Amino acid sequence: MQIFNWLFPAKTDDVRSTAKDRMRSMLTHDRLELPAGRLETLEEELMAVVGRYFELDKDTTHFDLQQYERRASLIANFRLLRSKC
Amino acid sequence: MSGRVIVITSGKGGVGKTTASANIGVALASTGVSVALVDMDIGLRNLDILMGLENRVVYNLVDVVEERCKLRQALVKDKKLPNLSLLPAAQTRDKSAVNAEQMKALCGELKSMYDFVLVDSPAGIEQGFQNAVAGADEAIVITTPEMSAVRDADRIIGLLEARKDEIKEYRLVLNRYRPTMVANNDMMSVDDVLEILSVKLLGVVPEDEDIIISTNKGEPISGTDNIRAGLAYRNIARRIRGEDVAIMDLESKNSTWINKIVSFFNPTVRV
Repeated sequence: MQIFNWLFPAKTDDVRSTAKDRMRSMLTHDRLELPAGRLETLEEELMAVVGRYFELDKDTTHFDLQQYERRASLIANFRLLRSKC
Repeated sequence: MSGRVIVITSGKGGVGKTTASANIGVALASTGVSVALVDMDIGLRNLDILMGLENRVVYNLVDVVEERCKLRQALVKDKKLPNLSLLPAAQTRDKSAVNAEQMKALCGELKSMYDFVLVDSPAGIEQGFQNAVAGADEAIVITTPEMSAVRDADRIIGLLEARKDEIKEYRLVLNRYRPTMVANNDMMSVDDVLEILSVKLLGVVPEDEDIIISTNKGEPISGTDNIRAGLAYRNIARRIRGEDVAIMDLESKNSTWINKIVSFFNPTVRV
């Protein structure tokens, strides 16, 4: 058993999911003709706007583009701590 | 008669468009229907070689469009299947030799003569591609499970979507599939590619050295029994004709004795 593990080591790095993740992100940008970095800028600006009204838990704020049937959705999830008003 | 015009396209070059066109053509014709194969790769003619018909080409598609000959004179009959013909591309001209209107008219004429008209598109998304899709009712998108090929296929799907009024349906053929690499998590699976592209699957063709041998012989593999890639193409032809054929189990071939021994000792490893 040991010798077989040594002869045929099990793969630890999963190239397949790396490829899939890169592919998904690349096609989302391609389909929207979205230049690299634009999403990050949007995220910062949105955070600033929401941040004027609420105190945010920045560690759990989630910002993502998801694809369904070749259409992208912008998913923004702001964890609010308290109102600033 | 009004046949179906199906364009075979991929965006990226070298993924197997022409091989697929030849094989699907032979497989379809073997089911009894009449088929015309149209080589739209003007300037880079290759479909005649794959069909083993290169010595019989007299006239070509550009000759027909420019009225130097009749359509029937340019069509080359297959050696084995009398219901299969090839309309060769011109070798000395380029993509600007024909336009979309002329292609529409040509496809219209061909589909009055044949049950199926398969148009082998050139690589790229420029005029050659635009001409190839101009007269098409349906499309087959060919890709391999590699990132660059999938990206280009996505671009093509976007362009086909924009022509929804003319191109009613498009389906994917995943070519050069390597089940062992997928099992090793080294390559995207069929489901991964379908999920990413959100597209319907027409078939999966495994990587097969016999394809190279068949190309060298000028005999498309789908006419040969006992070869998995050939069976894959015959299944594709049946699905095109509307039959419900299950995607074949590609994993079984890898159950070689060495694989079985290794799996016995360490089920997580495959060779």
